[in-house]
Amino acid sequence: MLNQAAGRETGTDIAHLRHVPRRYWGRYVSAGLILLFLGFLVDASAHGKIEWRFVGQFLTVPSILYGLANTIIMSILAMALGVVLGVIIAIMRMSANPVLRAVSLGYVWLFRGTPAILQLLLWFNLALVFPTVGIPGVWEARMVDVMTPFVAALLGLGINQGAYSSEVVRAGLLSVDTGQYEAAKAIGMARLKALRRIILPQAMRVIIPPIGNEFISMVKLTSLASVIQYAEILHNAENIYYANARVIELLIVAAIWYLVIVTILSLGQAQIETRFARGAGRRGTVS
Amino acid sequence: MSGDTAVRSGDTVVRSGDPIVRAIGLAKHFGQFQALKAISLDVFRGEVLCIIGPSGSGKSTLLRCVNQLEKVTDGALWVDGELVGYRREGDRLYELTESQIARQRLATGMVFQRFNLFPHMTALENVIEGPVQVLKRPKAEAIAEAKTLLARVGLDHKADAFPVELSGGQQQRVAIARALAMKPKLMLFDEPTSALDPELVGEVLTVMRDLARSGMTMIVVTHELGFAREVASRVVFMDQGQIIETGPPSEILTRPGNPRTADFISAVIS
Ligand SMILES: Nc1ncnc2c1ncn2[C@@H]1O[C@H](COP(=O)(O)OP(=O)(O)O)[C@@H](O)[C@H]1O
Ligand SMILES: [Mg+2]
Repeated sequence: MLNQAAGRETGTDIAHLRHVPRRYWGRYVSAGLILLFLGFLVDASAHGKIEWRFVGQFLTVPSILYGLANTIIMSILAMALGVVLGVIIAIMRMSANPVLRAVSLGYVWLFRGTPAILQLLLWFNLALVFPTVGIPGVWEARMVDVMTPFVAALLGLGINQGAYSSEVVRAGLLSVDTGQYEAAKAIGMARLKALRRIILPQAMRVIIPPIGNEFISMVKLTSLASVIQYAEILHNAENIYYANARVIELLIVAAIWYLVIVTILSLGQAQIETRFARGAGRRGTVS
Repeated sequence: MSGDTAVRSGDTVVRSGDPIVRAIGLAKHFGQFQALKAISLDVFRGEVLCIIGPSGSGKSTLLRCVNQLEKVTDGALWVDGELVGYRREGDRLYELTESQIARQRLATGMVFQRFNLFPHMTALENVIEGPVQVLKRPKAEAIAEAKTLLARVGLDHKADAFPVELSGGQQQRVAIARALAMKPKLMLFDEPTSALDPELVGEVLTVMRDLARSGMTMIVVTHELGFAREVASRVVFMDQGQIIETGPPSEILTRPGNPRTADFISAVIS
């Protein structure tokens, strides 16, 4: 059939015919189903016992905004600590020095192997084990004064994140062709300089998407710090609903703010990805 | 490395001449497997030495030992008058630190079969990376020199192109410029045209021929027998980790003394 048709047609015959684009029926069907489901959700929330008035009212009260600021600050600082530690641990893991490799393995084993909430509680309660910190005779302080909820949350979340980030960074470093290390060595670069100038910039393309993912997880993970009295957004929302019993409304307020942060982060990630795609021929879509 | 013998042979080496590369009883093991066996070789300044031989005969390994991408496991190797990888003090050999090895590497430039340009940098940035980051040269100076080098390999108009935007032949010419930017005393080429489409081989060989004419000392691993015949001062034939024979190209390539060499040459030509 096909061959016959092709045999009869010549280039001049079909050159003037109009092109009809392919129809993507699957897209229409799935969009329809999703709209239906959304309609159902809106209907349910309108008839359910949610006072949307309160949601709007509490969205911008000082306590919530203060909690929001704390959530953002803690996310950024803990993530920064996590990425710095992750890079160091990943480089140690790939070092020729067996002691560094063992330390790196032990770190990942310990902090990835225990729940984050447990680590937060341990840091926060460190005073039970070490009542004082410092260098005897030079400087000393009571642990309860040093290990504030902020410090405990930062250490707990950041160090825990370091264990996960190190695996992401290691995957990125491994993705770079060994020929790149050799070319860097051949122009006389020492190992650390080669890592910084040649290997890490290329590894970034592999590292950024999962690190963006981890950052988004971190924003939500900061809510764990409410158990050690860190005044992040969920903690403050809880304090309000303990007083006024508007539980669902305040949880929705917190949810809205989390979504706002995560949306902004996702947009930022796309920007950073384009920056590190420098010199890469391949773009993100799989076609 | 068996310390004492290396040192004693070292004394005779330093007295007996000034080759830029001297290998004595060089061996390289990968675990149980021995990739290089008792290699002894002198390469003199201004010389173009072509190494030929079947795949797996240890040609790359030998080059990689010369610029310390591989660590020698036995015998001794000198590059530019320095014992490679070790420092002698009295009757002891101390293993060099990583930064000392990096400094020793500056004597050699390396061109790889698969180019290994830095993909996140433009051609110009590739060429200035070593001078600026390693030699700490002022950036403006490095850029001016890099442009001269790119012009020398015929690519001044591609200074701002990324490696993905260049053909294989162009990438390899940038790689040559990148190595030359470090002002090495010795250039190592590991099958520089083997990864290229046939029509691109010529442009790279032309650059290498010009470089040889300018007096650069070169060790070239290649299957391009025509290039070897024309440019090489000596040809080395390797097989199974050993040097089978060495001589001027007219001799090795036309009247090889060893049947293995003859077999290899007729296989490459046909
Ligand atoms: N890193 C390595 N580990 C183990 N064996 C290797 C390694 N590099 C090379 N070899 C082996 O050493 C031999 C010589 O390799 P090579 O020097 O690359 O040969 P050529 O360049 O002449 O083709 C080969 O048999 C190869 O498999
Ligand atoms: Mg090889």
